[in-house]
Amino acid sequence: MKLPVLREDGFFLLLVAGVLLFTFAASPASPYICPLLLVLTGIVLYTTRTWKDRAFYILCAGLPLVIALSAVQIWAGLFAVWMLAGIVLAELEMLASGNEWMSYAAFCGATLVIAAGIQVSNHVLLPLMILAGIIALIVAVQILRDYRFRKQYTGAHP
Amino acid sequence: MRLTRCAQGISLLVILLFACAFILDDLAILLAGSTLLAGLFGLWYSFDRRFRQAVASVTVARSLERAVVRTGTTLRVKTAITLQVPDHMEVSVSEILPAGIVVQDGETSASFGTSIAQGAGEFTYRITPVVHGTMQFSGITLVAQDNFFENSCVLSAEQFRGPVLSVQPRGVFEPSVRGLTSGNREIEKMAILSALGVRSLREYYAGDDLRRIDWKMTAKHNKLFVREYAGVMNLPPLIIVDLPWRGAPCPGDAFSQMVSAIAGQVEHSTTKYHYSTVLLVSGPNILHFIFEEKDLQRSLSELREWMHPVERTTHFYRMTDRSDIRRHIRALELLSDGTPDPSLQKFLGSLKKQYLSSLRAQQTPAFNAQIARTLSTFKVDEVYLFSLFTGDVSHLHQIIRQVKTMNLRVHVRAPKGLDLLSFPVSMSLLGADTVEVFA
Repeated sequence: MKLPVLREDGFFLLLVAGVLLFTFAASPASPYICPLLLVLTGIVLYTTRTWKDRAFYILCAGLPLVIALSAVQIWAGLFAVWMLAGIVLAELEMLASGNEWMSYAAFCGATLVIAAGIQVSNHVLLPLMILAGIIALIVAVQILRDYRFRKQYTGAHP
Repeated sequence: MRLTRCAQGISLLVILLFACAFILDDLAILLAGSTLLAGLFGLWYSFDRRFRQAVASVTVARSLERAVVRTGTTLRVKTAITLQVPDHMEVSVSEILPAGIVVQDGETSASFGTSIAQGAGEFTYRITPVVHGTMQFSGITLVAQDNFFENSCVLSAEQFRGPVLSVQPRGVFEPSVRGLTSGNREIEKMAILSALGVRSLREYYAGDDLRRIDWKMTAKHNKLFVREYAGVMNLPPLIIVDLPWRGAPCPGDAFSQMVSAIAGQVEHSTTKYHYSTVLLVSGPNILHFIFEEKDLQRSLSELREWMHPVERTTHFYRMTDRSDIRRHIRALELLSDGTPDPSLQKFLGSLKKQYLSSLRAQQTPAFNAQIARTLSTFKVDEVYLFSLFTGDVSHLHQIIRQVKTMNLRVHVRAPKGLDLLSFPVSMSLLGADTVEVFA
């Protein structure tokens, strides 16, 4: 099923609205930091339209905003992550079909779980070790799958 | 799987964020790093799924012009590939060629991106096996890439392999013993009876030559019939083109001039004699034979296909002919008889010994017999030989010798600026009736 492509402008407007709402509602200690970082993200977003590997520049510009928002309220940082991911995926035209929107929703769900895990942690070490374990598991499974896949198509006897 | 520049940058960011989070014990930085990592893994999973879909959809159909060939024969290979190209992905496919095969021209790879929406492509190329044996096309290599990842897979399962090419060996020298019987000799070619040369028969008209009356037809139909004999026309020349070796430097200007000169000669032959015959060789290797082609466009099209430096299966390495060695020996004997200097006589004697040992080892090259067999299949008065005279040119002398043996005239066409008096060139041109340059 083909869905209309939501351009990165839509996600950016949502991000602007979210950040402004958070700044007014939460009244952080330094109220100018987040809007300034939002402006930085906007500048990079609109000046790199013709650049190659634009996704990387957008992520680099958006990460300080995510960190600044997370430092005050982790859920606000998570919202910024979702919008940033939406901007990148829209820029790559990877939000055109129902399956792609489902993948985006899965990403949001996975990051929600990660954020919840971080929220209940007091220090970095334990969640970092859990993450490292999960990564090692995924890599091991993937190596095994890749081996079986290549074996099938290179004509090796099972 | 490899990361593209963008994914490498993101990976570096993740490592940097994790390091900062660990050192500063900051959960906000950890969130940024871990969500970025989750995104990267998501993209990886998506890419891997699409890559597997692309690989699973590949079908390969490969066909050879001939399944059994001799070493050095050039043959055409057609490979048709269909696959489903996933979204946001570029896929390229390349042939895995067996060892001992040289690609003469054509494409052995194809890209399936946005240009080919259906994901179907065909590539055609020509190969020359340089060693003998059984060779199997062992599949294809598929490379897929998107904005973040690149992966390749060798597809060599049963459905991607084949067909098998059987390459028979080709000897460099002719067998010394021929199959002789009393009164006849075996030949390795088909022979047909010659016709009487009567073009048509028609009724007799008053004034016709009475010697032309066909009495059998006249008796059969009870009416006078006369024979109409075929007209006489000069025989068209044979054009022999010596293509340069791919491994030797080839002057581009001279080659394009030679191509123009050959095209002009073919056009002239077709216009004047109604057909043209072209023999393409490269060193002591016969590559292709365009026999009595009447269609000029087809001749030129075949020439366009072949006109490029080619790989040579056999090299002569400045090989001297037996008759040349004998000539050298006779010259040494004359020189030795006429000189009173004993040291020079000793030197000439040792040189003669060397020539005699070379003469014993030297055999008749198979190339000579191939040229002779080719020339004996049709009638020709004169031969035009085009060559750039680069690298080893000893095969040109063999060609000229064979042509002269059959009492044909040889006209050599050489590039402008060639020093005709230099040693290998002058030796190769021995026996040629005329030498002209093309420019």
